[in-house]
Amino acid sequence: MSPLRTERSGRFLLHLVLGAGSLLMIVPFVWMLLSSVKNRADIAAYPPKILPTEWLWSNYPEAMGFAPFGTYFRNSLTIAVGHTALNLVVASMAGYALARIAFRGRTLIFFGVMTMMMIPTYTKIVPQYLIAKSVPFFGGNDWLGRGGTGWLDSWWALIIPGALTPFAIFLFRQFYLALPKELEEAARIDGMGEFGIFARVMTPLVKPAIATVALLTFEGSWNNFLWPLLVTTSDELRVVQVGLAAFQQAERTEWAYLMAGSALATLPMIVLFLFTQRYFVQGFATAGIK
Amino acid sequence: MRTAAAAVLAVAVLASGCGGPAPSSGQGTGGEPQGEISLVTPIFEGSDGQRVLEEQLAAFRKQYPKVRVRPDYTNYAKLNEKLTTSMVSGRAYDVMLLGIGWVPPFAGRLLADLGMDRAELAKTYSPRAVDAGVHDGKVYALPVMLDMRFGIYRKDLFAAAGITAPPRTFAELRDHARRLTVRDASGKLQRAGMDVLSTDPRQVYETLLWAAGGDLFTPDGKVAFNSPNAVRGLELMTDLIRTDRALDIGFTKVGDTSIPIITDRAAMALGHNNLWLEIQAQRPELIAQDKIGTFVITDERPAMFQGGTLASMSASGKNKPAALALVKFLASADASLAASSQRGNVPAVRSLESSSYVKENAFVRFAMSNMDSAFSEGGVPGWLNIRNDFKAAIESALLGQKSPKEALDELAARAATQVSGR
Amino acid sequence: MTAVLERRKALRRKDRGRRRVAALMLAPAVIHLVWWIGIPVVSTFVLAFLQYDIFAGTAEWVGFDNFARIFSDDVWNASIWHTLVYTFFTVPVAMVIAAVVAVLLNVKMRARAWYRAAFFLPHVTATVAIALVWMWMFEPRIGLFNALLEMVGVTGPAWLADPDWAMTSVIVVSIWKGIGVKMLIYLAALQSIPHELYEAADLDGASGPRKFFSITLPLLKPATFFVFVVSMIDAFQVFDQVYILTPDGGPANSTTVMTYEIYQAAFGRFDISTASAQSVVLFGFLMVLTVISRRLTGKDDSHVSS
Repeated sequence: MSPLRTERSGRFLLHLVLGAGSLLMIVPFVWMLLSSVKNRADIAAYPPKILPTEWLWSNYPEAMGFAPFGTYFRNSLTIAVGHTALNLVVASMAGYALARIAFRGRTLIFFGVMTMMMIPTYTKIVPQYLIAKSVPFFGGNDWLGRGGTGWLDSWWALIIPGALTPFAIFLFRQFYLALPKELEEAARIDGMGEFGIFARVMTPLVKPAIATVALLTFEGSWNNFLWPLLVTTSDELRVVQVGLAAFQQAERTEWAYLMAGSALATLPMIVLFLFTQRYFVQGFATAGIK
Repeated sequence: MRTAAAAVLAVAVLASGCGGPAPSSGQGTGGEPQGEISLVTPIFEGSDGQRVLEEQLAAFRKQYPKVRVRPDYTNYAKLNEKLTTSMVSGRAYDVMLLGIGWVPPFAGRLLADLGMDRAELAKTYSPRAVDAGVHDGKVYALPVMLDMRFGIYRKDLFAAAGITAPPRTFAELRDHARRLTVRDASGKLQRAGMDVLSTDPRQVYETLLWAAGGDLFTPDGKVAFNSPNAVRGLELMTDLIRTDRALDIGFTKVGDTSIPIITDRAAMALGHNNLWLEIQAQRPELIAQDKIGTFVITDERPAMFQGGTLASMSASGKNKPAALALVKFLASADASLAASSQRGNVPAVRSLESSSYVKENAFVRFAMSNMDSAFSEGGVPGWLNIRNDFKAAIESALLGQKSPKEALDELAARAATQVSGR
Repeated sequence: MTAVLERRKALRRKDRGRRRVAALMLAPAVIHLVWWIGIPVVSTFVLAFLQYDIFAGTAEWVGFDNFARIFSDDVWNASIWHTLVYTFFTVPVAMVIAAVVAVLLNVKMRARAWYRAAFFLPHVTATVAIALVWMWMFEPRIGLFNALLEMVGVTGPAWLADPDWAMTSVIVVSIWKGIGVKMLIYLAALQSIPHELYEAADLDGASGPRKFFSITLPLLKPATFFVFVVSMIDAFQVFDQVYILTPDGGPANSTTVMTYEIYQAAFGRFDISTASAQSVVLFGFLMVLTVISRRLTGKDDSHVSS
């Protein structure tokens, strides 16, 4: 066999493997889309019907009428964008410092960051609620954080507590670690300051990490349900996931609406993925270090 | 040293939550209730639900123009989280809508005695519904709406099998179920004679336990769900599945999209009154052709599982007159009808039996006419501590890992240490 | 002599400058973490030694009583075992698949973006939708798995309803769902491997697998450490997919995991002290495993300048 033939059959095999894998991955998503336009009888059919007998596109507007989703989507978007932006800035700085600057206590802080991930949400959430309620001088609180409602039922509680994830700091640290030392030394010889090296030399090289953190932060924030529900009471501050929960009541689930709502709620993340995945290309070819 | 400081801080946070003065709202010092009160509700979800509650609150406002109600919407799945955060932060909701099982654990701790007379209330509500809000002889909550689990059967499948009437005893139930079960040549179950797997296993077991003449607890709060009668309840489940093979584990489960009794895959089921709406939506012809029947599960006595949403008020609330007014209002005929019809449940007020909503919903009508057979779970302060242990015990019996007696004895031993409550 | 001193002093000044920058860059993160996670973590540890009565708002120091009580509970002990089994099978398998997929998807080819999106899709698909599809696949009578088994003459189990198979089923779904994020991180890490290294290896006539083992794998070390630690933490705290596939602990409590028990204690029984003690145990497990994995991957997972 000629090398070209090997190359070509290799490609074919690659596409075959990836194609089969992809298929396995998208089945539930496709099922969600199909279910979102089914009627009740189709959804309950046994054995399951793959295609709907009638394509009920009206499920979408009806699902959106089930709760004030306009407001909810706007709120979720605001919160997710806020979390993503803040997390990128704060976590990248922290990750850089932990990865590239030697100082005493660095390992301790790094371990501290990791341990912050090790207590489950359900245990942390009650103290966090109390902290949000006890923020001094807000919501009628005195300087000790007593008397009022603090940040409860406000944008502060929705945005600030979730604005930084230890996950992102950890990820950034690992990516800054992987960068070669020569780069910053060259920049230092050029007389660049430490912050300049961070912002202008090193960070552009971890674009894939930025994309990853952006994507996962957005996703985590967008899918968060319990915290926004707990800290808000007014409907104007509630989020998409709270709206989706309304389809699953104690007695029964509105499956088609739930699927339609979930499909719509997934869209922003898919768009974001297709947008960010462009940054997953060899960043180093242009770095010009030899 | 530093950790010690942090620990102090943590405790301080906790303390500030508990010790901080609760927001004081205008107090009704006698006379007309006034001021602002908070309400947490696990029902009235979504835009529809919210509209219904807002209409009711508008009506409430006409009666009490000086009271403002601040509703906080949640759902049953997250009600406990809402209650927890409200308690630890020292701002309990003035008025709480909650499930029947919440009353005994909360009575006297979170919930205030409403100071009402049980006998008097029984004139308005069915006595069983009133009892759901009673603990130690005091009324802590009023029923807003109820939901029932009872026997549902397919008249068409009964006729085809030559069975004329729904079962009146466990023996008949087993016999019917055996005759109604259909398996194909390879032994695969095509149609279950009796479906007891689509409803929460604890609720199924409790219904059967009551029908068998058993009780969850003795009147003085001792474990009774492993008494000989109670064990017979679980034995019926294991008999249906393991001996009679009228149903297979895995054939269906709680929350499945496909509900066997509706899709011709079961001839009888223990189901929720809400299935009526599901049948209407999925297969309205079953109703039009009169193929759906109902029966109360009966052996020693007829028994229906009664769940429901009750209205209660906080024991630490600063504005009890207004809160009490709202509790009474939410349990009134109008509000009860609005809440029930929004989700296809059973109104607790007796006079609503003649309402057009009840007349048009056969399951609700059936439930209301059999209210004397309704039983509710709970009854002891430690109920929340053991409630979730039932499922595994029941399943271990259904799977044949343990005999029903063993499974329930073990559960009882586990419960005995916890029921006393802390 | 003085020149050396002078230079050393200058260096030290520069170091101090860098340390100050480091402090400034870390400050917002540290303040935020201590405030929103540090305090809750510390209060969890404190509450684990208290008997906190949520109704009365009182707390009493009880030492190790909470721990003694939780370890006398068979269901909790079983949940530890289930969590370990779940983690042991989910994490490594998903990691290997994710690494392979990432390497394959790093090749320039047609439809690459779509393949990547497809593998990431399970991560963003609503868990209820995922559960619906997998429940059909596991369905004992007409489900895909048992249909396949039937072809070879085997009667399959009831999967999610069978205590012997429920955990296996959950693990399969979790591996499937977990590939996406791990792949994403590997993919990101692969981008920062200098192309020149491969070019040099090509010149030396190195084969594909050889390049993978001698260049790709070593340079993926920081990412691997990260993926491993984060996946392990995630696996130990798994809740959603287990709960939706096998609600309330699964058939006869065969899939109850630590987080579910913690959730039940805190919000099912309003017993925050027990939930805290259980969380501390979970924390302990993760701590030990993290330290071990750091030892294994080696401390110098870096080319740090100092």
